[in-house]
Amino acid sequence: MPIRLVWKQLWRHKLRFLLTVASLSVAIFLLCILRSLVVTLDAGVRASTTHRLIVQSAVSLFVNLPEAYESKIRQVDGVDTCAKMQWFGGYYKEQANFFAQFAIDPESWLACYPEVEILEGSLKTFLTSRQHCLVGIRTAEKYGFQVGQTVPITGTIFPRVDQKPWEFVIAGIYRATSPNVDNANLLFHFDRLRETLLSKEATGPPGSGVFVVRCRPDSDPVQVMADIDALFAGGPQRVQATPEGEFQAQFVTMVGNVPFFVSSIGGGVLAAIVLAVLNTMLMYGREQTRDVGILKSLGFNDRIVFAVLLSQSMILCLAGGAIGIGLAVVTATPMQNLLGTAFPNYQVSEQVLGSAVLLTFGIGLFAGLMPALSASRLKVIDTLRRGI
Amino acid sequence: MRLVPWSYNIKSLLVRKSTTALTVISIGATVAVLAGVLSLERGFKTLFTSGGRNDIMIFLRIGATSEGESGLRRDQVRVIQNNLPEIATDESGRPLASPESYLAVRLRKLDGGETNVPIRGVGPRTFDIHGDTFEIVSGRNIRPGSDEVLVGEKLPGRIRNCTIGEEILINTSPFQVVGTFRCPGPYTSEIWGDVERMADALQRIAYQRVIARLRPEVDSKVFADAMAEHPQAPTFVVSEREYLESQTAAISFTLRYLGIFLATIMGIAAVFTSTNTMLSALSSRTHEIGILLSVGFRPIPIFISFLFEAMILGLLGGLVGSLLVLPLSGIETGTTNFQTFTEVAFAFRVTPDVLQTAILFALVLGLLGGALPAWKASRMRPIEALRRT
Repeated sequence: MPIRLVWKQLWRHKLRFLLTVASLSVAIFLLCILRSLVVTLDAGVRASTTHRLIVQSAVSLFVNLPEAYESKIRQVDGVDTCAKMQWFGGYYKEQANFFAQFAIDPESWLACYPEVEILEGSLKTFLTSRQHCLVGIRTAEKYGFQVGQTVPITGTIFPRVDQKPWEFVIAGIYRATSPNVDNANLLFHFDRLRETLLSKEATGPPGSGVFVVRCRPDSDPVQVMADIDALFAGGPQRVQATPEGEFQAQFVTMVGNVPFFVSSIGGGVLAAIVLAVLNTMLMYGREQTRDVGILKSLGFNDRIVFAVLLSQSMILCLAGGAIGIGLAVVTATPMQNLLGTAFPNYQVSEQVLGSAVLLTFGIGLFAGLMPALSASRLKVIDTLRRGI
Repeated sequence: MRLVPWSYNIKSLLVRKSTTALTVISIGATVAVLAGVLSLERGFKTLFTSGGRNDIMIFLRIGATSEGESGLRRDQVRVIQNNLPEIATDESGRPLASPESYLAVRLRKLDGGETNVPIRGVGPRTFDIHGDTFEIVSGRNIRPGSDEVLVGEKLPGRIRNCTIGEEILINTSPFQVVGTFRCPGPYTSEIWGDVERMADALQRIAYQRVIARLRPEVDSKVFADAMAEHPQAPTFVVSEREYLESQTAAISFTLRYLGIFLATIMGIAAVFTSTNTMLSALSSRTHEIGILLSVGFRPIPIFISFLFEAMILGLLGGLVGSLLVLPLSGIETGTTNFQTFTEVAFAFRVTPDVLQTAILFALVLGLLGGALPAWKASRMRPIEALRRT
């Protein structure tokens, strides 16, 4: 196959070639981002372990459970440990500076989440001092928090009576080795929350929002969940024990039908780019009618003519696809910062890149097929007669 | 200075049917994505703002940004209900103020899965305060103090156990559904029951807010400032309209930025596509341009002529994009109001201003795409253009 001819034909219209490659790159880049968003939403859910359960109120996400439930849950057969976990819902300085804060039982909570590791600072300080907190690496990097620094957090669910923010001293910075734990949280002592409420320095609902339960490895989580549910079926607050993954999935489905929404947008992007590339290839095809005639009269057969046209389309698409995929990879970190708390684990996975490569090939084949077919079917006489 | 006749451009577009069609549809898809996102934002916003009234005031805990996180003590509520002369009264002299509780409750959807449905405990005066805007669609209203609930008219088609006669289990107490209601705004996705019965069933004592009507002569801003400093019941007071608008801020912001982000990226691709199309038009019409120049058309009219042709392409794309999103209008979808973590049902609204934005966007795409080819066309020299075939 005359490779140089393929290239010469493409390069004959430099600007058109560059513009088409550029719009392809942009489209593939966008598709990679969209697909990554959907994959990311699922990532935390899939990484969750089934031996970790979340016990929440069966009535509402906003009803707290009595603290006394903790000791009762611990006695359920198969339960290894259990920790209180309360959503604090405050903000740092301004409402726009949002990251999650939780009041937890430090020792049992960390026992439930062995994937949390301390990068800097001292775990011991955190465990022994109620004024201290742990901060996730992402939040620490975003706001430039250092170990030892005091972080003011204004409570919206638990406002202080003196209208001042709560103050937490950073004991350490953590990172989770698995995406099911968000690296943006601030974790502090549940005891401090309880005491502040009891001393009437702050107001807010008593109790714990959820309990994290770690089951023993040899236990049957389904049975443990059923036992916990049955324990409180008669009230005062009914509970619902779910595997951690399901608990997280409920927040994902809340946003609405995100996968559908994203695929609709993706469909639009795809339609636009396929038509644009097809348009370009039809232009190339039309202009090469005469050249095809010459090729054929020189003795090149239909298959080679077909290949010449198709290769042009493939080169066009592979160039565009490669740049688009490259852009997606390069921008992964800035994108993660931009998306922030909404998609804490945004990353462009190999699976996404793989489907982008497939898609690129697909577009190339589709756009090249029609011009290539019509070129291979051209009769020499017709092409030379048409004075194009 | 004579302009090139418009019909020349129209005919040129018609001659290259397939290229024109591909470009138009490609621009159309871009425009449709933008218009789709915008109509989603519009639908969400309309739902929340259509119901908000300026004469209904909402009392929240100071510092609370939504009723989900608000909480008022019983004694504060009593002060607001009974001791504020600014609050309007009905014919028999009772103040038009009503305490309400609010909780997002976990219920099962008809198509499987769980969602958070707001349950609102309402006082008897809530119905008087909403006045004519509240109406029972089917069944009857609840009796005060009874274990009965009304469901918003959007719920029976989405949530289990929400048809009249069925029972909804709230914590451990069953409540009977006795009617469906309509009240503009997000209320149509809520369940309403007696405020005291709800407090018992949910084992919660706090009220989340008070709603009230002010006397017509009271200035709501002055009143709100006074309430913030009130000695017994300091509260944050906003009109219902302002409150509902604040609830849409996060989603509106997200959707609008998503729209701008997608429009920019896809717009770049669309501009390149129309540039390509116009460049190809240019190269196949070099000879014609030579003729135009030699019969006396000046470069500027030729520039305008090409730009016009590109704008027609854009306009057609805009129309195609608008046609593509029109069927979306009215389609119901659900999302979560992240201020209260509750699901609300709302519909895409393809409003005239969404379409106007879409078509304007398409015209800009055409204009940008046509600029370079038009400039090239106007710079041609007649002799060279004529010589090239």
